[in-house]
Amino acid sequence: MSIELTHGHEHESHAAHDDHHDHKPTGFLNRWLFTTNHKDIGTLYLVFALLMFFTGGAMAMVIRAELFMPGLQLVEPDFFNQMTTMHALIMVFGAVMPAWVGFANWQIPLMIGAPDMALPRMNNWSFWILPFAFTMLLSTLFMDSGGPAAGWTLYPPLSLQGGQSFAFVVFAVHMMGISSIMGSINVIATIMNMRAPGMTLLKMPLFVWTWLITAFLLIAVMPVLAGAVTMLLTDHFFGTSFFNAAGGGDPVMFQHIFWFFGHPEVYIMILPAFGVVSEIIPTFARKPLFGYTAMVYATASIAFLSFIVWAHHMFTVGMPLTGELYFMYATMLIAVPTGVKVFNWVSTMWQGSMTFETPMLFAIGFVVLFTIGGLSGLMLAITAADLQYHDTYFVVAHFHYVLVPGSVFALMAGAYYWLPKWTGHMYSEKWGKIHFWISAISVNILFFPQHYLGLAGMPRRIPDYSTQFADFNMISSIGGFIFGASQLIFVGVIVHCVYKSRQAASGRVWEGAKGLEWILPSPPPYHSFNTPPVIDATTVAHAEQAH
Amino acid sequence: MQQLNRDEIAARRSRALKTAWLLAAVAILIFVAFILSGVLNS
Repeated sequence: MSIELTHGHEHESHAAHDDHHDHKPTGFLNRWLFTTNHKDIGTLYLVFALLMFFTGGAMAMVIRAELFMPGLQLVEPDFFNQMTTMHALIMVFGAVMPAWVGFANWQIPLMIGAPDMALPRMNNWSFWILPFAFTMLLSTLFMDSGGPAAGWTLYPPLSLQGGQSFAFVVFAVHMMGISSIMGSINVIATIMNMRAPGMTLLKMPLFVWTWLITAFLLIAVMPVLAGAVTMLLTDHFFGTSFFNAAGGGDPVMFQHIFWFFGHPEVYIMILPAFGVVSEIIPTFARKPLFGYTAMVYATASIAFLSFIVWAHHMFTVGMPLTGELYFMYATMLIAVPTGVKVFNWVSTMWQGSMTFETPMLFAIGFVVLFTIGGLSGLMLAITAADLQYHDTYFVVAHFHYVLVPGSVFALMAGAYYWLPKWTGHMYSEKWGKIHFWISAISVNILFFPQHYLGLAGMPRRIPDYSTQFADFNMISSIGGFIFGASQLIFVGVIVHCVYKSRQAASGRVWEGAKGLEWILPSPPPYHSFNTPPVIDATTVAHAEQAH
Repeated sequence: MQQLNRDEIAARRSRALKTAWLLAAVAILIFVAFILSGVLNS
């Protein structure tokens, strides 16, 4: 191996030299349909996720409009149930997960100094399965039997009472699962085999670490979901009785199986968010991440614990007292590594030279509001209290705090952070900040009153409610409409940044940014790191971790 | 800059493929074992 010793600025000139030999495919179909380039596929994932975000968001608007006041005003109860179910399926599998895969595609090769993902053709296939899966899922809304209406958990016996469209739902879930598994295989194969020489595991950026762990979670739990829905399919159409009590099956078994998948799924959506926030806070605090190694171990601990706490979702089903105690304490244990993370983010900011650009605002918003979601999760972990909270709006408030100002805010933070790198243009900081403040205020108006609704006993997944819940529901809906509308600002900022912005972004973009992606010009050349970069303290953030 | 030679690139590609096949086998094994356990238990 011949080694040329160069440093940061020379990397940039080399990368710019690469840019002269870009070899971008010509023609729309060649560029986007047949692409094997990690940056193009990352862009496809992100655009698809944004489309799904607005599709699922439109369904949320229908839900909040119906709940604006008591009584049935806008939609039939069955359609309302279809909206709640589809909103969840689309947001989880169509928006948040593909968005993180989009970030992984763009960033992982750039962050570890690899020329591309390890399996580029499979990467193309992983993405292009998704539009077909979601076309199939959305088509059920136009079928005689309507879309799925039993909730995203698809609990039998209710889900088995659906019509012929149920088969489409199951196959759509299969296709999403196949896409996720292939994406995860690619992430693991890339990280384990394609790192630049010298990029040891404990020098990797936190975002790469969190994705590596997320990918293992996905490979472990997606086949379980696929198996469970396959059994539902045969129960529905082929007369088996895995979960059908009438034939000797056990519907409670489905709940155990679903949540064995479902709880790690929550962490699949939040671990990459931890990674993004761990990149952004050091940049804008202008300090190295506090406790890098502890952050890696905390992420792995959270992932491990996510496998052994599933039954806290089903305390009310009934289980032995020892089971209740075990799942309660095991769930509470997750607060320890999560607390380590929150402590380390705050410690990174402590006495830093902080500035508050839009990515940092979203990252700080994430830390504060995700913590609220985490604390209400601790309340739900208490078995005796959960019997009161279960299936109420308290649960809805809890998981929306984790997923919206949690995962979605981290997605926004990451998008603003890397958008100048990806496009070569600066976005409008003024409109980014307007987007943040409207989102941060409205998301609390939307979800905070739902805690009170839940504590007062309002059940989830109902289109009508007692008049005592009217005021908080109206406030929540107003917050929802503002939050929904404010996301159009985000689209405006992106379109402006890509097509109109005249302010060119430098290679490093942010003064405090450190990592391999920042030694490339903005935008990076179509084929980057064909020659692996040198890994040293000037190019990576965690070089001091070398042992 | 560190130049990787053709043999090293080929070795990387081969290792990546092995990793991918191994992970795919694990995923399929979980799926099949899961369904089988359901069938045998019923």
